[in-house]
Amino acid sequence: MITKRHRKTIRITLTYIICVLAFIFFIMPLLWITYSSFRSPSAILSGTIISPAGQYTLDNYRTILSVTDFPVYFWNSLRIGFMVTFAAMVLSIIGAYGLSRYSLKGKNAYIMGVFSTQMFPIVLLLIPIYNIIFTMGLFNTALGVVLGQLMLVLPFAVWMLKGYFDNLPKEIEDSARIDGCNLFQMLFRIVLPISAPGIMVAAFYSFVVSWGDYLVVSVISQSQKTATLTLALQRLSSSLLLRWGQVAAATVLTIVPTILLFSFVQTRLVEGLTAGSVKA
Amino acid sequence: MKGSFLRKNGALPLILPTLIIMAVFTVLPLIKGFILSFTNANLLNKSTAYVGLENYKKLFTDPIFWLAFVHSLILTVTAVILELVFGIILALALKQKVPGIKLFRSVIMASWVIPVAATAVMFTFMVEPGYGYYNILLKFLGVKANTFWFGSLNLAFPLIIILHLWRNVPFYGIALLAAMQAIPDTQYEAAEIDGAGPIRSFFTVTLPSIRNMIIVMVTIHVLWTFNNFDMVYLTTGGGPVYSTQVLPVYVYQEAWTNYTTGYASSIGTIMFVLLMFYFIAYIRVYQQQEG
Repeated sequence: MITKRHRKTIRITLTYIICVLAFIFFIMPLLWITYSSFRSPSAILSGTIISPAGQYTLDNYRTILSVTDFPVYFWNSLRIGFMVTFAAMVLSIIGAYGLSRYSLKGKNAYIMGVFSTQMFPIVLLLIPIYNIIFTMGLFNTALGVVLGQLMLVLPFAVWMLKGYFDNLPKEIEDSARIDGCNLFQMLFRIVLPISAPGIMVAAFYSFVVSWGDYLVVSVISQSQKTATLTLALQRLSSSLLLRWGQVAAATVLTIVPTILLFSFVQTRLVEGLTAGSVKA
Repeated sequence: MKGSFLRKNGALPLILPTLIIMAVFTVLPLIKGFILSFTNANLLNKSTAYVGLENYKKLFTDPIFWLAFVHSLILTVTAVILELVFGIILALALKQKVPGIKLFRSVIMASWVIPVAATAVMFTFMVEPGYGYYNILLKFLGVKANTFWFGSLNLAFPLIIILHLWRNVPFYGIALLAAMQAIPDTQYEAAEIDGAGPIRSFFTVTLPSIRNMIIVMVTIHVLWTFNNFDMVYLTTGGGPVYSTQVLPVYVYQEAWTNYTTGYASSIGTIMFVLLMFYFIAYIRVYQQQEG
């Protein structure tokens, strides 16, 4: 006979077993690459986990930051990430707010239409997009990359924010409208402040997609001037003279900004990401 | 007149900028890509001519296309099913109120936010023979395993699936956890009074309540996995000997390595048609259940 107390012990034990296994599988790779970025080449190649004290070094970071063009790529990723996030937020906030609060003939078809673009194969779209960007004279420019990445971000951002706006109380806006607020006053004074958590999540999503994009950048921008971290990382890790310590350092520097931003939004992330699904 | 138009279509001016960008950068390219699939377009060749169904004929006898096709289907189905199963297990563990669980919840989604390019480097590094983390671990456990997993005909494809699991399972776990937390305790108490054990109350209370979240997660992950390019391209590039070749990577290589954009477009169009079928089937099932 299994008593209630037994059941509780089993449950807690199982929980910890799952958590330990999940930690080893999901978190260890991140810790391993970070740990390796501080090891000397001979320590990495030794095939051991712990090395003598003298084998730890900051040389990998020093080389990556001063000898290679890594800082240029970092700046490119940052610049493009901010531009994509800003443009996506402006467009999706007004778009989602419109869809949430105003009427539109065939509104559901529009929402469905924007969202169904998520299923288009991006590798197919990129072939004509390359031509469009080229004709616009935006090949190898940051603006070209921004336009290319916007189409990755916008459908989900609009969908997410619309769901968020739908769940907000409308009474405050009604009384503000009676007081004579126009649309933009209302957006800036009332809607933006109360929906800041949702917007933060959408902005985070946009930035992370842009920062992590390899596909669009690799087609639209190959030049030194606009290549981003993901491209640099791929080149670095496929070079013939592979120096794992430096690759590890570069990887850590690529990951750190996303993890930092993640720590600001993490509690709200799922709430925001799934807001659209509650009332799609 | 103007007043009534605004009343009926007030949202249009606000959503218009987004619609224009989506039209120029997704709908127009989709149509252009479809048209390109009937041409012999080549990036190295300035003159392009219509060749009718030539690309599609070639495609049906192209063994690499069929390999990529089968791999894409197996990858999508296997990854999504495993993600769901492990996601539910993870969510059930995260739901328990035990010391330290809050901290664990907050760090577990880290794998989802980092660039795939970084994931690819991390896993390549981990499966290096001799000094890779996995091989050190296996040696420690007494297993002789000194192969580069991505270079192995048998291990490369499973490893690609593992990469997908690594990235997506925590997202499933956290999303399903959110759905589980919305279930009122009274439902579990009622099930317990009816004599249901933990396993039966999982099937009668938990699973039906998180059904909608499961549908959303599975739907978007089928699309994302089938369209995913960088997970394969940045680790194996489709190799060794095409053992991990999938459709998106094949389209990309045909277009940007071989410059045969016409042929690449025909493969991309097939991908789109497959996704359309999936989408239509999904809508049918969804409407049947709603009505």
